[in-house]
Amino acid sequence: MAVKRLQNYINGEWVDSAADEVVEIINPARGELLSECPMSTKAELDAAMQAAKEAYPDWRNTPPVARARYLHRLIELMEDNFNELSVVQTTEHGKTIDESRGETRRGIEMVEVASGIPTTMQGFNLEDIAHGIDEYAIYQPLGVFSCIAPFNFPFMVPLWFLPFAIATGNTFVVKPSPRTPMSQSKLFEMLDEAGLPPGVVNMVNGGAEVADGCMEHPDMQGVTFVGSTPVARHIYKKCGENGKRVIAQAGAKNFIVIMPDAEIDKAMVSLVSSFFGNAGQRCLAGANLLVVGDDKTYKNVVDKFVEAAAAIRVGDGLDESVQMGPVQNAASKQRILKMMEKGLAEGATLTLDGRKPNIVGDLPEDCFLSPSVFENVTREMSLAGEEIFGPVASILRAGDLDEAIDIIHSVPFGNAASIFTNNGKWSRQFQHDVAAGNVGINVGIVAPMAFFPFGGMRDSFFGILHGQGQDVVRFFTECKVVITRWF
Amino acid sequence: MKLNTMAAVMTFVSKIEEESAAFYEKCADKYPEMRDTFLSWSKENRKFEKNVKRTYFGVITDTLESNYAFEGLDTDDYTFETEVPSDASKAIETAHEIEGRIRAFYLKAAELSESLMADIPRLFKKIAKKREDRQIPA
Repeated sequence: MAVKRLQNYINGEWVDSAADEVVEIINPARGELLSECPMSTKAELDAAMQAAKEAYPDWRNTPPVARARYLHRLIELMEDNFNELSVVQTTEHGKTIDESRGETRRGIEMVEVASGIPTTMQGFNLEDIAHGIDEYAIYQPLGVFSCIAPFNFPFMVPLWFLPFAIATGNTFVVKPSPRTPMSQSKLFEMLDEAGLPPGVVNMVNGGAEVADGCMEHPDMQGVTFVGSTPVARHIYKKCGENGKRVIAQAGAKNFIVIMPDAEIDKAMVSLVSSFFGNAGQRCLAGANLLVVGDDKTYKNVVDKFVEAAAAIRVGDGLDESVQMGPVQNAASKQRILKMMEKGLAEGATLTLDGRKPNIVGDLPEDCFLSPSVFENVTREMSLAGEEIFGPVASILRAGDLDEAIDIIHSVPFGNAASIFTNNGKWSRQFQHDVAAGNVGINVGIVAPMAFFPFGGMRDSFFGILHGQGQDVVRFFTECKVVITRWF
Repeated sequence: MKLNTMAAVMTFVSKIEEESAAFYEKCADKYPEMRDTFLSWSKENRKFEKNVKRTYFGVITDTLESNYAFEGLDTDDYTFETEVPSDASKAIETAHEIEGRIRAFYLKAAELSESLMADIPRLFKKIAKKREDRQIPA
């Protein structure tokens, strides 16, 4: 049977790419070939840009409430196809079906919040700034924006941006991750069915050539990106050189601090979910477990954490008994294994060894790992400071909260950090002092809701305004100030 | 079978609500004197299933700790007989047995899902409570 080659969506039409090069999309749990993703050319991006540019004048003049109605239709379609959307994510990415359903729900939430644009895009005014003179500020769209999407949340991440961009009156081009492009194809089927005017949303599959095109095209107003820190830094620089707005959400190495008074039994589900959910492939995953306290506290935490991690059932995410799926591809697994070897060479102790996976069912091992836990990790080690993006936890120790925060700041990332404690003073000190954009107090995965900005500091974020919430509405609009006097 | 994940719990909820609803419908046909009671239970079971699914799909997010909350829930503890007995008193006995099992399941699931978003354990408890009132005089 011929394998389906994914198409681009340009100017309201599904079109074949002229590209010769394709990336095979393989189900990481089963090793089955699912589809082929074309590595589209710059000319194909240019066609999408042209369509988006031509659609812009009419679209920006469409009343915000009418633009929001398209989003209401999209929500309906996504709800109707909730499970199908979720199954595609699991199939191409490997995450469990619950995780995919969570991703679908979070994606829908973005559209729901964006559909409030008649309120959230409003400006402000003041009468009589001088005698008989009024002043007001209005927010206007800018033109064409784009999203360069990551592989780890293939459905949701473009929805951090796309609905807000079009709700504010801009037009949009998505470049899905070539590793997990099928979820976006599904989303675009629904955008098509929602009846948006041609050119308002476009999708061009591809790799660096399309991404570079987004950053270089003279009509592109801004680029949104989620991915690794080196790429985010490159995008930030290149967009700066080309005078484009940019939101570049980057890598992470998130700490979870356990204070001696933490309710560890209640925290355990949260901890395990944070470290090993999505097989550790999320920028909000716990990576470093930092235990504050004496040997007794430490042993209690580590024993329970290791026991819970060891019990995780690994397998195909479509099997409802499975709690952790594979990592997204075989290269990821090899990269993770290499980082684990490096950690061992640096002197860390591999307390729970997940290198040889214990898989539910008869599945190829290519992309599977079981959870791993390292002890005796110090801040100088690569295990503590480098992003692994896999199901690997590193355990560190600190004498007190000051030292714990100091250790956190020795790592260049600042995406998320959590503390587990019942002590209000410690909690306040933590949220006040820690240099992380998303802070959790007795919460393991600090994922901001759609109506709050997605934080990020230091090497985890490049830009000024963040994704989601009011920040992203401001990102997609320009503030114009008007001063009026009537004679 | 152990139920480890929220998805597996959802599938099991569908199974027990569907099977019990079908049992009550058969009982309603066979025992006309209790027809209204059995049909109302059947209808309510299907409503429970719908409510649980709606809640699950409504609150599940990428932060929900749904893959790890249900350690200790085993379907073997909550299975029940669905063959319609040949006399009415046995049918009532079986119905009460089913209700007891399903109620126990929801209470245990509520206890284990305390760490999830509050909607889920709250609904489980509510369904268990509603079932407490289900009595057919023998």
